[in-house]
Amino acid sequence: MELIERYLEAVKFGLPKRQKDDIIAELSEDIYSQIEERETALGRKLNEGEVEEILKQRGHPLLVANRFLPQESLIGPVFFLIYRFVLKIFAYGYLLPYTLVWIGLMIFSPSYRFEQTHPSWFGAFASLFSYLWFAFCLVVVPLTIAFAVLERQQARVRFFDRWSPRKLPPVRNPNAIPRSSSAAEVAVNLIFFVWWAVYAHSPELRIGSMIHISFQPQWLWFFWGYLALALGNAALSATNLLHPYWTIIRAKLRLFSDGVGAALFCWLMQANILDGMSITNVPAEKATALTQAINHWMTTLFPAAIVVGLVVIATGIYRIVRLKPAVEHSLP
Amino acid sequence: MVIPINSEAFENLRLELRRGCLVLAVLAALRSEQYGYTLRKTLSERGLEIDEGTLYPLLRRLETQGLLDSEWREEEKRKKRFYLLSADGALVLDQLLAEWRNLDSSIYTILKEQSHGTD
Repeated sequence: MELIERYLEAVKFGLPKRQKDDIIAELSEDIYSQIEERETALGRKLNEGEVEEILKQRGHPLLVANRFLPQESLIGPVFFLIYRFVLKIFAYGYLLPYTLVWIGLMIFSPSYRFEQTHPSWFGAFASLFSYLWFAFCLVVVPLTIAFAVLERQQARVRFFDRWSPRKLPPVRNPNAIPRSSSAAEVAVNLIFFVWWAVYAHSPELRIGSMIHISFQPQWLWFFWGYLALALGNAALSATNLLHPYWTIIRAKLRLFSDGVGAALFCWLMQANILDGMSITNVPAEKATALTQAINHWMTTLFPAAIVVGLVVIATGIYRIVRLKPAVEHSLP
Repeated sequence: MVIPINSEAFENLRLELRRGCLVLAVLAALRSEQYGYTLRKTLSERGLEIDEGTLYPLLRRLETQGLLDSEWREEEKRKKRFYLLSADGALVLDQLLAEWRNLDSSIYTILKEQSHGTD
């Protein structure tokens, strides 16, 4: 019957090469046995519609063939967990920030927007997506190959069988503050405080005897702002050093200082803070051009500063949100 | 939360439960020689419906594992593949049946204890 032959031919297409004929012979026999039994029960030959119904009940040829295939995967369930984790790091650590910075530049930087959208907006988006796709392929293809090789090695060497509970990483307390990082913060903030107080207190900055930089009058706001922040952060880090876990009050103080720091930094980037510059043996017009170039680049990088500031603030807010349930749980 | 009896989640659980039992049933049924279609009918008549898309790959797997022997023979003018439990298959079947009885007994005990607890 032609319908049955067509069905078997379609199943055959998806079968493993060595077993094709054997499986088809057995399936064919099964189908004809079923038809024969039905015909005996009805006392007549089945018509084409009834045969079609029997074949439909057996399922799509590709699904039928698929059941005879060995269960294989490029990356097994254990390595897939690590593979997915690495992909997430790449997506959240590179692709997402890149896209956010691109959006920021497109919104806040007219020169960048003009450069990207010339001659069309379509070209700008096409350029972004082609870059993201290129970066994705550049990372994902070798990564997938590496994990597939690891998977095959694991099947052979079985290195997951050689493990010890003692070698597992210690339980991580997200509210704990490593003393080493608090100590480093105290040192960095105090060094910055002294350096800032000594060298940056005036809008006129001399670097050696060769370079003389003058800032806009609003420089004093930045000077006093960062001086206060360095001192406050040093005090907060010293407290963290003595009590190495976050509390709501200290987490809010850190959020406040990070927020003020980020706001000052964003302001600094677009304040055209350099007023002038003179460098020994460099003509005045070149020094002026350099001053303008630095101010221009700082303004251009303003959107990136906003993105970084938002990330810093979001991290601070996340720290508080994460801390609240832990504090509530610890209540008697 | 009770899973509705016709839901996909229930169907998956039911299939998972049946999967191991089908191996046992197929091995047990093949203590006497049968070909695929009659085996399917035998199981169906005893309340174990199994579609051909599950049965034939299972028979091949069991044969590859050395638990079944098979041969092509002509019967009623058609070539059919007959399956029979191998010597190794008979040993494995005995072990699986012992495991099956242990499981049955354990589940029965658990259910009995719980029904006493709720009395």
